[in-house]
Amino acid sequence: MGTTASQLPKDLLSEYQELTFLTKQEILLAHKRFTELVAKEDRNDPSPRVPMSKILTLPELKSNPFRKRICHVFSTSESKDGSLTFEDFLDLLSAFSDSATLEIKSHYAFRIFDFDDDGTLDRGDLEKLVNCLTGETDDTRLTPEEMKQLINNILEESDIDKDGTVNLSEFQHVISRSPDFVSSFKIVL
Amino acid sequence: MADKQASGSFLRLMSEESQASDLIIVFCDDHQETILDQGRCQGAPRRSLGGYSEDEDAWYPTRRWDRNVPLRNLPVSMQEKRDIRDRRNLQRRTIGCWESWRRSQRTVRRRMLEQMVQALSALQLWGRTLHSIEGRFGVSVKVYFVFLRYLVYLNLFNCLLTGALIQAPVFIFRNNIYSSTFKENDSYLDFFLGTGFLERSPVFYGFYTRGSLDGKCLNTPILFLLGVFSVLIFSLVMLVRRTVNGYKHKWMLSGRYNFSMSFKVFCSWDFCIHEPKSAAFKQSNIRNDLKMDLEEERFELLKSQRTLKVRVKIYFLRILLNTVVVILLGAAFCLIYIGTKYSHQQKDSKNYPWLYSLLLQYLPPIIITLVNFMLPHIFRVIVKFEDYSFTSQVNITLVRCIFLKLACLALFLFFLYDTLQKSPQNNQSCWENQFGKEMYKLLVFDLLATFTDTFFIMLPKKLLSEMYPECFLLKVMGRQKFLIQLNVLDLVYTQTVTWVGLFYCPMLTQICVCKLFAIFYIKKFAVQRCCKPTQRMFRASTSSVLFHFVLLLGLLMAFVVLGINLNKLKPSPTCGPFLGSSTVFNVTTMCVDSLPVHVGDFIKFMSSEAFAVPLIVVEILFLTSSMSLRSANNKCIERLKDMLVTCSSDKWYLVKQQAAWLQDQRSPQQSSSRAGSVEGSAPPEPRAHLDFHPLPERSVSQPCDTEPVPTHSRPPWNES
Repeated sequence: MGTTASQLPKDLLSEYQELTFLTKQEILLAHKRFTELVAKEDRNDPSPRVPMSKILTLPELKSNPFRKRICHVFSTSESKDGSLTFEDFLDLLSAFSDSATLEIKSHYAFRIFDFDDDGTLDRGDLEKLVNCLTGETDDTRLTPEEMKQLINNILEESDIDKDGTVNLSEFQHVISRSPDFVSSFKIVL
Repeated sequence: MADKQASGSFLRLMSEESQASDLIIVFCDDHQETILDQGRCQGAPRRSLGGYSEDEDAWYPTRRWDRNVPLRNLPVSMQEKRDIRDRRNLQRRTIGCWESWRRSQRTVRRRMLEQMVQALSALQLWGRTLHSIEGRFGVSVKVYFVFLRYLVYLNLFNCLLTGALIQAPVFIFRNNIYSSTFKENDSYLDFFLGTGFLERSPVFYGFYTRGSLDGKCLNTPILFLLGVFSVLIFSLVMLVRRTVNGYKHKWMLSGRYNFSMSFKVFCSWDFCIHEPKSAAFKQSNIRNDLKMDLEEERFELLKSQRTLKVRVKIYFLRILLNTVVVILLGAAFCLIYIGTKYSHQQKDSKNYPWLYSLLLQYLPPIIITLVNFMLPHIFRVIVKFEDYSFTSQVNITLVRCIFLKLACLALFLFFLYDTLQKSPQNNQSCWENQFGKEMYKLLVFDLLATFTDTFFIMLPKKLLSEMYPECFLLKVMGRQKFLIQLNVLDLVYTQTVTWVGLFYCPMLTQICVCKLFAIFYIKKFAVQRCCKPTQRMFRASTSSVLFHFVLLLGLLMAFVVLGINLNKLKPSPTCGPFLGSSTVFNVTTMCVDSLPVHVGDFIKFMSSEAFAVPLIVVEILFLTSSMSLRSANNKCIERLKDMLVTCSSDKWYLVKQQAAWLQDQRSPQQSSSRAGSVEGSAPPEPRAHLDFHPLPERSVSQPCDTEPVPTHSRPPWNES
């Protein structure tokens, strides 16, 4: 534990505390967990990148159906391969922390659910989202009729300006009505 | 690259901050302005596909540049947060030192507040345990434990109140030093029966004597009364507050602003879940839930198409089953009546062995607990035949269980009251202690039942099913679930008994806290060791509203019982703080009489009908005005919604117009053939919006070749 603390300089630690919603202990724990994931040959790199496949082995993400989307959204990698640096990792944990605001949580939730990254949730996104929620295999999926009925219902409810898609403000409007969202949109190491 | 973008955004800052910061106000004021803002917010991301990071400004035009927003609240990556911070620091240098000092002070204050909140939340009871339960079983099981914790807090506050107002004065101003120590003829059985040693202890009403504190308006009886009523009123205020808060949420979730499907899709995934097993479970839950809802929707559709014959049949069945339910309830009440009567008749005869007499003493609580244990399960089976939709099935069962639980208690109290009233007042034992003892026994027995249920029924069952997984009998019984509604009802029952018995057994709040602690650990064990998550989860928020509402019913019942008892029964002449006075309220009348004439008159006026009538009238006026305000607001919301739709269609109309116009500019020779069909020349992006149909009057397109579209109607996002 002592070595972990010494690896993270004090000023950097306080900077992270300022820029994220995490406490000191959480940042140190995150650092410990992250360094465990870094490959041996990258240990000397000042800001090593951990590939997505390794991040997904974390037990906190392993059983999450949105794990790949989460990595893609928080990755700052140029090649869009979903790899994370330690700071990206902290951003991830910060957005999913207990004290993050509803606004930031709903923003990231929207981006995670926006599978084609076009800035709106259209029918394709909604279908993928529902499939993630119910399970991807053929026997766990909803039937096409059910899916159609469901998506029509969703658009009926949340698409306020009736343009056929759900945009960020509409999404946040819906989310802000749900008192459960903040408590369930959480990942704790 | 980043610098360049930053400077670009910086220039835009000036114009955007002023316009978009009060989007809503602008929206209400000016239609045109709204289109401009909407265009900026929505059009921008579509302009460059996949480019979130480049268009963050468009997403968060105001938040990003509002210097008061903490950096961590910005949805950007860490490096960008650093850039923004540097820029903010640069700006801070250019502003005056007063302003800079003020801002830094604000930051310091905010941080201190955050740290305080964090430290306080670390003090929360059982934080880690709840977290782990939430991780394994999801939010809905946690709701039960949060409710339990809330009751513990409530009772701790109540303990403080009773300790300060009831126990402390008696201990300080006691004039006869009572020996409340353990005597030889006391047995440990007394702890279960509330007799002997406990009867002489501060647990019961009889211990509290008048003492040496003997002012007109400051004496032990008045403090006793004040203590009891402050506990009840404090609980009432807290509960009403919580119920109303929850109800507001629930109301917003239901009715015309129904987002249930969207919630189920957008908010149902519990990101706390770690284990693959529970993840798979959650997925099947969500799937079942969605299917159920869709089915219910279809069920509603079918219901509206039912024939008369089918309808008559269903109603007949329902009436029949309801009769069965009523008969069952009646039988249960009869059983309780007989049990109570028998127990009271036999209790004075001493010639039974101790075990039998203990059983006899505990007969009423045993019957009540048995009835409460059996009937809910029967109700759950009965309701399945009634052909309701699933949600109403759950609700109806819950309502029947609530009715059973509280009615049982009410019935028991009524019989107790009846026997107390009939029994001659001149016997030496004090009836208040008797009443307190019954409440004490109910509380203790409920705890024993919980303990037995967990360690002697659930645990062996679980162990057996682990040892013999193929056993047919065990499979028939099914796996054990943690039935949250029934467990919550138990808690409500405990709390109601505490409130009812408070007057006669002032230490009941302390006992209740101990009991709730014990229940917490027992239930934690039950959940973690013996149970699998329930097949159906329910929405945490709406159900917790129901829990608090039921608790409120319990409190109202306590008020009624106490009101009747205090008004109808004479305080016993041999014990307690009120000995010698004909009613409990004699002490308050004496206090009012001792006050100066004006104050006394004022208090009498406040408690008379002359004051109540104007009060009610004012309340009615207030209520009426709130109602009319509500309906006006509803209308306003409808209008604003319509306006949003119109705005959106306006926007698309303009986009199409402009696209057509551009097309005409580029190829004037084609325009004559294209005139009148603007649809075909829509820009490529709106392909995803094929379902969109503009309003009829909007879609009438003008021939574009005759006159170019005036510049002011050009969509703003193409100007830059």
